[in-house]
This record gives sequence, structure tokens and C-alpha cells, in this order.
Amino acid sequence: MLNSFPLSLCPRWLHARWILWAMAPAALCLPPATAPAAFFQQQSVVIKGRVTDEHNLPLPGVTVALKGTGTGTTTDANGNYTLRSNANSGVLEFSFIGYARQEAAFTGASTRNIVLRSDQKALGEVVVVGYGTQKKVNLVGAVSAVKVDEKIAGRALPNASSALSGMVPGLAVNQSSGMAGRNSATLLIRGLGTVNNANPLIVVDGMPDVDINRINLNDIESISVLKDATSASVYGSRAANGVILITTKSGKGMRKAQINFNGNLAIVKPTKAYQFMADYPRALTMHQRGAAVSQQPAAWQFKNGTIDQWMALGMIDPLRYPNTDWWDVISRTGNIQNYNVSASGGGENSNFFISVGVQDEKGLQINNDYKLYNARFNYDYKIRKNMNVGVRFNGNWSKLTYALEDGFTDDAPTNTAGFDLQYAIAGITPYDPVSGHYGGVMAYGEDAQAYNPYTVYMNTLSRMNRQEANGSIYFDWSPVKGLTGRVDYILTYNNQFRWNANMPNQAFNFQTNTFGGRIYVGENAGIGNFTNTGYKTLMNGRLSYQNTFGKNHELSVMGVYSEEYWYTRSQSSSRNDRLHPSLHEVDAALTDIQSAGGNSSAEGLRSYIGRLNYTAFNKYLFEANFRYDGSSKFLPGSQYGLFSSAAVGWRFTEESFIKPFTSRFMNSGKLRVSYGGLGNNSGVGRYEQQETLNTSNYMSGEDIVRGFVYRKMVNRDLTWEANTVFNIGLDLAFLDNRLTAELDYYNRLTKGMLQSSEMSILLTGAYEAPRANMGNLRNRGVEANITWSDKVGEFRYGVNLNASYNATNLEKWNEFLGKGYTFINMPYHFVYTYEDLGIAQTWEDVYNATPQGASPGDILRKDLNGDGRITGDDKKAYPNLQRDRPTTNAALNVNLGWKGIDVAFLFTAATGRKDYWINNYNNVNYGQQRYAFTWEHWNNPWSWENRGGAWPRLLGSSNREETTFWLDDLSYIRLKNIQVGYTIPQNLLKRIGVNSFRIFGSTENVATITSYRGLDPELTGNRSNAYPLNKSYSIGVNVGL
Amino acid sequence: MKKNQTIISLTAVLAGVIIFATSCVKDLLDQQPTTDLGANAFWKTEADATIALMGAYADVRPLFDRDYYFDGHGEYVRNRGNAVTNGNLQRGDAYHASSASSAYAPSGYGQYFDKMYRYLYGGVTRTNYVIENVQRMLPNATATSLPELERVIGEARLLRGMIYFRLISMWGDVPYFSKVINSNAEVADLARLPIGQVKDSIIADFDYAFDKLPPDASEPGRASKPAALAFRGKLQLYWACWNQFGWPELQGFVPDAAAATAAYNAAAEDFRKVINDYGLELFRGGEPGEIDPPGLAEKLPNYYYLFTPIANGDPEIIMSFAHGGTGTNQGEELMRDFAGRNHEGSQCWITPRYEIADRYQLISTGDFAPPLIPMNPATPGARTADRSAVNPQSYVDRDYRMKSTIQWDYEMSLGFASLKVTNWVPWIYKAGNQEVIINGEKYISYNTDGSNSGYVFRKFVRNTPGLGRSDGNYAWPVMRLADVYLMYAEATNAVNGPQPDAINLLNKIRHRGNLPPLSGTKTANKEVFFDAIEQERIIELIGEGHRGFDLRRWRALERVWGPPYGDAVLRIDTHGEIVSRYYQNTPERTYQQNYIFRIPPGERDRNPKLTQNTPWL
Repeated sequence: MLNSFPLSLCPRWLHARWILWAMAPAALCLPPATAPAAFFQQQSVVIKGRVTDEHNLPLPGVTVALKGTGTGTTTDANGNYTLRSNANSGVLEFSFIGYARQEAAFTGASTRNIVLRSDQKALGEVVVVGYGTQKKVNLVGAVSAVKVDEKIAGRALPNASSALSGMVPGLAVNQSSGMAGRNSATLLIRGLGTVNNANPLIVVDGMPDVDINRINLNDIESISVLKDATSASVYGSRAANGVILITTKSGKGMRKAQINFNGNLAIVKPTKAYQFMADYPRALTMHQRGAAVSQQPAAWQFKNGTIDQWMALGMIDPLRYPNTDWWDVISRTGNIQNYNVSASGGGENSNFFISVGVQDEKGLQINNDYKLYNARFNYDYKIRKNMNVGVRFNGNWSKLTYALEDGFTDDAPTNTAGFDLQYAIAGITPYDPVSGHYGGVMAYGEDAQAYNPYTVYMNTLSRMNRQEANGSIYFDWSPVKGLTGRVDYILTYNNQFRWNANMPNQAFNFQTNTFGGRIYVGENAGIGNFTNTGYKTLMNGRLSYQNTFGKNHELSVMGVYSEEYWYTRSQSSSRNDRLHPSLHEVDAALTDIQSAGGNSSAEGLRSYIGRLNYTAFNKYLFEANFRYDGSSKFLPGSQYGLFSSAAVGWRFTEESFIKPFTSRFMNSGKLRVSYGGLGNNSGVGRYEQQETLNTSNYMSGEDIVRGFVYRKMVNRDLTWEANTVFNIGLDLAFLDNRLTAELDYYNRLTKGMLQSSEMSILLTGAYEAPRANMGNLRNRGVEANITWSDKVGEFRYGVNLNASYNATNLEKWNEFLGKGYTFINMPYHFVYTYEDLGIAQTWEDVYNATPQGASPGDILRKDLNGDGRITGDDKKAYPNLQRDRPTTNAALNVNLGWKGIDVAFLFTAATGRKDYWINNYNNVNYGQQRYAFTWEHWNNPWSWENRGGAWPRLLGSSNREETTFWLDDLSYIRLKNIQVGYTIPQNLLKRIGVNSFRIFGSTENVATITSYRGLDPELTGNRSNAYPLNKSYSIGVNVGL
Repeated sequence: MKKNQTIISLTAVLAGVIIFATSCVKDLLDQQPTTDLGANAFWKTEADATIALMGAYADVRPLFDRDYYFDGHGEYVRNRGNAVTNGNLQRGDAYHASSASSAYAPSGYGQYFDKMYRYLYGGVTRTNYVIENVQRMLPNATATSLPELERVIGEARLLRGMIYFRLISMWGDVPYFSKVINSNAEVADLARLPIGQVKDSIIADFDYAFDKLPPDASEPGRASKPAALAFRGKLQLYWACWNQFGWPELQGFVPDAAAATAAYNAAAEDFRKVINDYGLELFRGGEPGEIDPPGLAEKLPNYYYLFTPIANGDPEIIMSFAHGGTGTNQGEELMRDFAGRNHEGSQCWITPRYEIADRYQLISTGDFAPPLIPMNPATPGARTADRSAVNPQSYVDRDYRMKSTIQWDYEMSLGFASLKVTNWVPWIYKAGNQEVIINGEKYISYNTDGSNSGYVFRKFVRNTPGLGRSDGNYAWPVMRLADVYLMYAEATNAVNGPQPDAINLLNKIRHRGNLPPLSGTKTANKEVFFDAIEQERIIELIGEGHRGFDLRRWRALERVWGPPYGDAVLRIDTHGEIVSRYYQNTPERTYQQNYIFRIPPGERDRNPKLTQNTPWL
């Protein structure tokens, strides 16, 4: 293995041919790569040989260098090499990306056949950065790279964003829902950079704005996360929140075409779900308990007789006296299936990668299905020695079926059915297959608007199909050595079609055998069709030059001109009165009542980009970037923004005055410092800056008449939101690279955040407040990424710990800020809360506290300012706790391998976030009727008999206020993934013509330690959301042919 | 080989050029909006003036078209919430309050109208925009187009006057501006203008409108001369009341008896013109129409139809805001607010209180009936007992407006689902959504938990299918001839006592309910005649949002609800249960806060010059 630190001029990590072979010609790595012709005329010995891999396949392109001379060559297509040496004896060095370096001594003319062994660690050597690749040792920006291998791709993950959880320090990955098709994770690089869109830019193979969740994880080769200004500033105004660069696989460097099949199958269970009480008589007594707080028994909504009757008859007549276990009815064991076939290969002049995949997800909710088909074709061809062309094409197609926007619920205030899950009483029969009726309320006194979720999840489904095609072509040409011109043209297209055609149905009362008052879907149910299309074009012209001057000065410069153009349009139409329940296109309905809408918008961005890299003596690194962006969103005069950055790096372990001290334990060390700016225009609408009139139509008799109103007040000075990032980092490698560490500190200041300005109330009733460059937000944080890997005999192991801490601070706000959880010199959305004194146990407790209308059993609040009243002034601010996201994230990856067996664990953890546990399902102040109780309602509320109750009394006073009583710490430690695999030994497989075969089992979200009382500490969502996170168990295979 | 290379290079360069040339999007950084009209394309022709005015109408409409919520401030209507969509002006955001049930309760509402304040000023901006821009067109207007342009300005000024009138009647002194505002700085430190000055500006707006409007607006939903007159009269009447009865909560306002008299007279003058000069008459000639006995609703009195789309454009409705039905996105939500689930899934936010029933007089005597007796229907004989509130027969021989306005047990209304008639729906308090058999026919009873009094409204609830609960096309009346009759009677009575023409007008209104003319005792003096006027205002205008404003301008809260720190005033239901208590041990300060609304404190945080009304300090 690695036995000594390489001293040659060409350390192995300079072999920059991993992904973009063409972009980093071998010539760079081997100055002078081939010796002058005169050299050969001298007396010399010839060494020959063949280089193969572990499977005895030839390895072309392996660098064979004569140690200490700078002489070298590369192997040919068959892995053969021939090298002449002046000296009669010496040492040959064999190096190849992805393989461990090897040395072999020779004496005289000889044949040395070498078997190179693959080395996973070496793959990190070249990192994909914006518009190119860079050698990792020379990186001065803060870039984290993840190589996506079969172990990541084999996890039963619904999308690529979820796969990034715990992989990169400083990248917060949060699962916000478990809903099939909507369970993507939110990605946030280095905290909340802006109160506007804070999502990072996703770039796939040079295509910005690709949906990360629609990429086949199996197609991904590597992911780079650009975190600071230097690494990201070539993306300028697109990169204020960092960039995630995804590179898909190609056939480059392959010698033999390969066919791979991956498949896995997972079953999915909830991590935790609401425990609705499937006991209607008991639920009615809960209503009685609530009513008893303020009413005489005679006035109670539910009578004892109703309850007794239900209790008795419920045991013998479940149709008429149901005790429905709703969760059981509306949820199911989900599953995720993932199948993927790919082929890849390469030759001297071309290479290809082709893959098709399908992902089929059945969510935990009935009728929540998601299917995603993916096809990819990547192809590169070398037209001439100095010319390349290539295409990248991805097409995907998804089908999503769902009932409500959040699955079980919908938080939109306009969808009144969206909150109704809290009204799913146990006393409703979901469906009677004999009569074909859906049940409604039956108990005397029950609210007819109680909810039968089953009928909604069966009969009012939305179906959404979406197709995307993302294609790009490039051509590059290097007319002279070091100079490359390249043109890329990218076209992405998407089309989305959603339809709903609800099935008429009405609540049935099985006791009286009549239809009740509630009509779930009326007889005139219609059809709604909604189409969204969009496309985007991107054209880049790039010119780059790289060369080495003298012996020790490497210089590369790059300039790019880029034009991006977005276009989206939408059209919707609906009609009432569908002709037949089986039809769903809008023509299949009567024309008497119909509506239609349509719109389009476009946006342009013109950019000039430049980058300069300079490396001296392989020790001193310098990089400068700029990007000059003009956006159509702003008015002329404010359209352009200049975003530039510079960085320096120092590989101090290369210094002769340091090396003697460090070389025994430290392989390499690099200090890097960067500073620069990025921009953001996501906070402003496409046409927001244009003076326009809005329609506000009026009626004249029966006729609609045109009306225009002036609703806009344009801020003519509005311009880019900009941020500056300072980053200082340290990359260290110890003990023969077994231990590596990357440490970063950053300080990012976002200036002029685009926000609607606050106007006088005299104007806000007429004008939309113009946006202004409003506030400054600072993010500071530290990140660490520490990896240890080693091998003891046959046993390989690796441990990676990554952690990050981020603190936000709102530094400036140009306008008045009222009291609330946004304030100057505080984190954005900090905890601002009443303090509680616990539950009053006695009247004594109530009298001892500040008067607040409480009774025993109510939560008492502290009178912090001592004015004898409980008002908003008694809230306390916590500067170190925030409501929306954790300050600290950490992850631990453990990999173990022994012979063919591999085991991996992933733990994730977070802390620093507190939020209220107040939602629609733990309501202690429920209404008089139709509340869906959980067992917690039965067990937890305080009462004279249950003094130690964990909840305050039912229907008490002020018990739903945001006090510390309901404030939960959302810290957690989660065993995110365990994976166990077995690779069948090669010699067994060879006989059946199979290259590789791995079988594995994996499980997600295995266990969580948290004190949070709600569904899941990772879940964001709103107070009606009930979709749990997924826990899954999967098995799968990888087969290589 | 070399040559080949050159060709390829050339091809490449050419391809590059082509790609560059064709991919470059024309005017990349100059993208024009696709559905919003560029401001520079407007104000080119005189037709634009009308289009801008229509926009102003559309945005001023939602400041007035849910005034029925305000009836919750009175003692006869309960508003348990409302159907507004938060954040959507056209769907009632001006009336939205963090707690709708508190905002429209009989007491403790004054702090819930920040949004109303905000949107009223929004309306000021909308009208200023029309006025200023059209005024700019006047110098170049031709003689033929000038009247039309001046009419547009007149309508906008009428709307602006109505808005400021609403503002002063709620908040007293208010900031005033009458030009287009181009930046926040222009209004950021605006102080409140004394009410008298604001009133004079409103009068000026109404004067201009009266001058320039046509005597009869041909297009329904647009204003005409009598509208301007009626509003000018109403403003004078309010001004007279404030001077007559005082407004101690409004700092700096000194009541002046002489000013009151002058304003009463001016108001009477304006109302007289409205009544006499434009040939206006009550809906369907003021005739009562036909009526069915209790339990049937095939034949309903004319008063009922006055509040259905049939009455759109009727001369009685002096000014209204038009609404459009399905597909126009301009529907009213009267059905959603006033009806129950059986009526297109409506929500029954607003219900009559039990106490209104005894206010309906007997046709036979022309005076009040002996009070109803609330009874629990479980009590034997309750459904048939004499005067029992749950006996439908207790409601015969009443003012026709009773059946037109409210429903008691076993009253019927037509149910609708999916825009079609379902069946007749019997209303039975506390027995909703049940199967009932009446005269051998099966019905499903009225389904709502919205009523706590025993009654639901019939007024404003359509009896024709075809429109969804949020798609009503009824033109909401903001000024009705009956109201003008009553205001005229009030103004003349205040100065001169009962006048024959005023008594005659009251009798016209009573005739609509098929009531006999007022007896001599009811017109004997100023005081009893005022009571008769108030009685007619309660019955005739219920659900139209007047009662709270009337109580405040008459300073009648103490009369109705008792003095400060008094016993509670109870509201009960037809079964005799107490359903709510108001003004129990209520401090004086609460009364003061009910008399004047709170200036939005958020605005005071920003604008130190903005003073607060004293009770809210």
C-alpha cells in the first residue's frame, strides 16, 4: 500500500483525469511528459511491461515514470508500455487515478508486469468545480465532495436530496415530509443565507436549475458542494446560497463495456404516527368532560343515552355504531422499489453511459403513489486529437397521485377540507361495500361536518404527470496547447399536467338508511385540467488557457460568456358536470359552467465570468473570480451586479523549513483563505419592477366590465441582494493519509435582503409595498470533517465524523420592527416565549401567581416584567435558540469491510432548535363536537383525579399560548441508516459470466433519540400536517455483467 | 490531413457562430409582462377614464358590501364569525378580524378594525387615482366628452366621500389626503385632521358629485344624482347627531346645538329632494305582496324579494355595488353567511337573535304582540301552546317582513346542492340534519350549528338555484329609499317634531309589512315618533349593518344595554336557555371604547404624529 510520501515532481494526486479527461490533459501532470527526441539517441536501456488491474484486465493510460528523472510514458490501449532509461537501474513509478501508486525497481533492460489495485481514497483527488475541475490539493475554496457509490445508491431513498443527509458538513438536509412524491429534503448550505429563497443552486453536468429530486441516484458519479464565495462565485448571482454540482457517470477511461443492474425493494413504516382513539363512546365522554367545564349536564351536546347506546351496540353492529380506527383505514405499509439498468463503456475516441431506471413508491397514505422513470444518455466523442464533442441527455417522467397538498391535510386557508383530519371522529363508517355508501355522522348531536377522510382520500384525488427533458451539447477545441475554447448549449424542457375529476358522493347515515346533510362531492362534479410548461436555454462560450511557466509557475485563466433564459407558462381550465365519472379531460363535461386561466412569464440573465488560478512551487495558491450578471428582473441602471472573490492557499507542509518537523506524521497541510461576494435576485418577481396596472373588473348589470387599478409602487432603486463571504480553512492529512481533516470557519454577511418594505397603513390597502434592499443578515459558523480509514489484514474500516455549527444574526433592518421573533441583533426567528410556572395544582397556586384568569389545571405564565398583568411584554427572547432549524448538525459515518462483507452505519444529530408542540391533534381546547381525540387526550390532561397529568386541563384558559410549557427541544440523535452487504467472490462468479454481484440489506431511520413530543424532530410542516416520516427496510442487489 | 483539420476547424467556428447568433435571446434583459398592462399604455383615450373608474368601483365595493357583519354590534343579530378570505380584498379582507366573533359582538369590538381602516384608505387611493388622472384630461377634452369625464370624476368623488364618511363615523378625526401618493414619505407622518374639516371635504366631494352625476344612471351599479344627495343628507344627519348628542370620546370635538339644527335641516332638505325629485318609489310599489302560512314558503312577501337578485337595479335601491355570478369572480357570499349546509354547503355565520321576534308587530293591531314564551319542545304541548316560541302558529298575523326575514321552527326554505334544487328544508332548532316527516312527506332538516337563538335568516337567502354559495349576484344596497324615508323622518322630527309627510313615509314602509298606519299615540310627540322611527329602522333595515352605527350616533348604548357596571343583558333562545350575556359589570371605559374605534397602534408605532383616541390610550 502506501508506504512513503511520494517525492517525485508528479505526486499521484496531480493525475487529473478522473472525470473530465479532456479538460485536464495528462500533459499538465507530467512536465515534460515525453522527453525530447534527442534524449533517445543516448545509450539507454528499455524497460517494457504490461499494467493490469486486479481482474487482469489491461489498464490503458497509466503513467509510468522513472523516479527522480521526470522521464515517463503512459500505457497504451492494451496496457503495454515501453520506457527507455539512461541509468541502468532505478525505480519505476506507476500511477493511475483511482488506483494505489506502485513502485517497481529494475536493473537493466527488463520486463515488469504490474497489477495495480484500486484505491478508493485516491478518487477524491480531482474535484468538480464550477466550469471545470480542480485538483484537490490546489483547491482554495471551501468545497466538499461526495462520491456516490453503490452503497449510497443502494439505500431505499426516495430522492437524491435525502441522500445528502449527513454527508457534508455545513449542508443541512432536512426531511420535511414523508409523503410519496413530496418527500424531498430541503437543503441549506451554511445556515439561512437570506429570508428569500435560500435554496442552493443545483447544477447537473453544467446545467443549472435541474431538480435534484428527479435525478436517478444511480446515475450520479459525484456531488460537489461549493460553500464559499471563491468556489461559487463563478455562479455569481445564482450562487448566494451555495452550489451543489452533480456530475453524472460517463464511460470515460473504461476499457470494457459494462452492464449494471441495481434493484432494491423496501417496505416503509412510519417513524411515529398519531394515535387516534378508535373508541367513539369514549370520545363522546371526552366531549362531555369538555362541556362540563362550562355547562350544566342538561345543556351538553351529547347525552348519556347516546353514549351508552353506542357502547352497547358498537360491539354487535359496527356498521351502524362504528368505532373506526382511522389511522388503520387511511394508512398502509408503504413500499419503495427501485430498478435500474445501465451500460457504459469507452474507447480511444468515444465513451458512453446509458441508463434507464424506474422508482415506484407507494406512500404510507392510501392512494398516495409516486412513480418516476428516468433515462439518461451521456456520450463524448473525440473528433480530433484536440477536439471533443459530447451530449448529455436526461429524460424523466413522473406520475403522482395524492389527495391533498400535504397528503392527509392541506394548510392552505382556501382549502377548507385541508384541516379536517382533526374532525375524523371514530363514529363514522368509512365505507360500506355492500351498499357502496360512504358514511357520515350518525350520533345524536354530532356535527354533520365531521370528517370521513376515507372518502376524500378515495374520491377527491389529484393526479399529476410531469415530464422533463434536459439536454446539453458541447464542443471544445484546443487549437494550441493549453488554450481551449468550448461552447455549451443547454435546453431543458418541462411539461406538467394535473387533473382532478372527483367522484360524487354523499355522507350516508346507516342508522336511518338515508343520506345525511353532508355532500362530500356534489352531483355536478366537474373536471379540472392544469397544464404548466416551461423551458430554459443556456448558452455558454468559454475560453480557457493553462500553462506552466518556468518550472514552478502554473497559471490558468478562464473566461465565460453566458446567456440564460427562462420561460414558463400555465394554463388551466375546468368545467362542471362531468359527462361520466370515468372521464377526466375537460372536453368530457358540459359547457354551461366553465372557467379558464392562463399566464406566461420570462426572465433573462446575461453573465460575464472570469477565473484565474495561479500556483507557484506547488505551495502558493492563488485564485480570483468574478462574475458580472445582468438580470431582466431589475430596471435598466440597476440590472448589473459584479460579484468577485479572491483566495489564497498555502501548502505549508511543502515548505522545506516545516517539512522536516511534520513529515513523520503529516502528509500534507494546506491553509486557505477566501473572501468575496455573491448575489441573489430570487426575492423579486419577474415583472415586479415594471410599472403595470392590474385588472380589477366590475359588473354593469349582467355584464362584466373591464377595470384597471394601479396597485404597484415601484422602488426604482431596487437592486441585487448581495453577500460577502469570508472563509478560512485548513486541510490536513496525517499518518499516511489514514487520518484527514478539513476545518472551516466562515463569516457570511448578506446585505440588502430583498423584502417588501413596510408602508404606512394608509397605503397598504391599495399598493403592494415595493420591495426594498432591506436588511443585513450574518451567518457565522464552523465546520469539521474528519475521516479515519485503515486496513488491518483483511479488515477495512473507515470512520467519518462531520459537524457544523451555524449562528445567524439579523444585523440591520431598514424599517420599524415590532416585537416578535424577528429582531435586530438576534437570530432570525429566535425563540420568543412566555415562561411557564407549570400547571396550577391548587387554587393556592393560582392566587400566588399573577392574575391571568387561570384555574387549577391551567398553565400559569410568569409575569416577567412584574407589572401585575400577563401581556406580550412578558415574553422572553432566547438569543441562542431558533425556531426553524438547528444550529448544530453532526453526522457519523462508519464503514466496515471484511472480505466480501461490508457494513455501514450512518448517525445524524442536530441541536439548537426549539419549537412549540402545538398542533391540531393535541388540542386541549377542542370544540363541542366532532373532534378526533388521540389516546393522549384520554391519558394526559390534568384533572383532580390526575394531578400529575402531562397536559393542562381540558378546555381551560390560555392553555394553547406559546409558553415554554409547549416549547420542545428538537435536538435528536438518529440512526439514519444501517447497511449490510455481501459481495460474492469473483472466482465464483466468473463461471456464470458475471463480473460482480452484491446483495445487501438496508434500513432507514432506524432509531431516534429525542425529547420532542411531536411526530418527528426533523419534520418541519405545519400544524395540521400528519404525514409521518418513513422508516424503511430494504433488500437489493447490484449485478455487473 | 492538414486540410481536413482546417475544414473541421472552420466548421466548428461556423457552428459556434451559428449557435451564438441564434441562441442569443432578443432583448434578453428586457422582458415585458404578459398579462398586466404596462402603465405607459394607459391614460391614452377617454375610454380609459371609465375603465379606471370601474377598477375603483371594484375595489371600493368590498369596503361596503359586507356591512351586514356590522349588525353584530346591535342587539338583534348574532355574528359568530364570517366567511372572509384572509388577505383577499375582494373576498372580504376589509372585514376580516383576528376574532370575527369578537369584532362583531355587541361590545368590545373597537380594536378589531385595523384592516378596515387600512382598506378604507386603500379606497381613498383608488379614487384619488381616478380623480387626479381624469382631471388632467379635462383641459383637452372636447365639449362632448367633457360631461362624461366630469361624471367619472363625480362618481369617484362620491365613492371617496363615502369612504371618508365611514372613516370619520368610526374613528372621528382621521388623516386626510386627496391626491395620488407616489411614495411612503408623503404620508408617513400625516397627522389626524379634525372631523369638521374632513366633513367639509366630504361635503365638497358630494356637492361635486351631485352637480355632475346623471339623474338616473343607466348602468346598474353606477351612481346617480339621488345617491350623491342621499349620502350628503346622511352625512349631515350624522353630523347633526354628533352635535346633538355629543361625542365625548373624540378629543377636541365640541358639540354645537346650532350646528346640529342646521345640519338636521340640511339633511332633511337633501332627503326631501331624493324623495320628491327623481320619481323614486319603493320596490313593487311598496305593496306587501303575498304570503304563505307558517310551514310553507311558496309565496313570500315582496320585502323578501327586495333582497334577492330580482331587485337589482330597482329604483328603491338608490345606490348599490353590483356583483357577478358564476365565473365572474365577483360574487357576494350572502348565502354562505346567512344560510346553512343544505344551501350549497353554506355556513350560517349570521343569525337573528331571539329578541328580534317580539319586535315584529301584529297586522291586526299595528302594535306589538304579547311576548312569545320560550319553551323547550320536550315539554308536553310546547309545540301547540299559545304564544309558545316553538309553536309555528305563534307567528301568524305578524308584519310580513317577519316571514321575509327570519325562519322559526318548521319554516321551510329551498335547499340546493350542486347548483340544483334538492328539496324543501324545514328549520328545526337543535334538531338539524335529521329525517323528519311533515304531512307525510320526508325531509332532511336544516343542518347548521350556527344558530343559538332558535331562528335563522331568510332575508338575503336566495330561493332560486344555479349559483354557488360564494357566487351570488345580488347588488348590495348601500343606500335604499326606505332608509332615506326614515332618515328624513328622523331629521325633521329632531327639529320640528312629527310632520305629516314624515308620518306618511313611515306608513308607506309599514304598509310593506302589511301593517296599518301608525296610530295617533305613536305620532303624538317627538319622543314617541322617534321610537316609531327607531322601531322601523330595526325591522326594515335588519341585517344591513345600520344598527351599530345608529346606536353610537344616538349615544344609545346605555339605553339599550344599561349603565356601566350594570347587570348583564341576557340573550336567550326559543327554548328559554341563556345563550349569552352582554355588558355584565362592564366598566365605563368599555362603553367609551365602543363609541369610538381604535386608531391602529402599528401605524402609531411608525408615525409619532398620529394620536390615539383617548379611550384606547
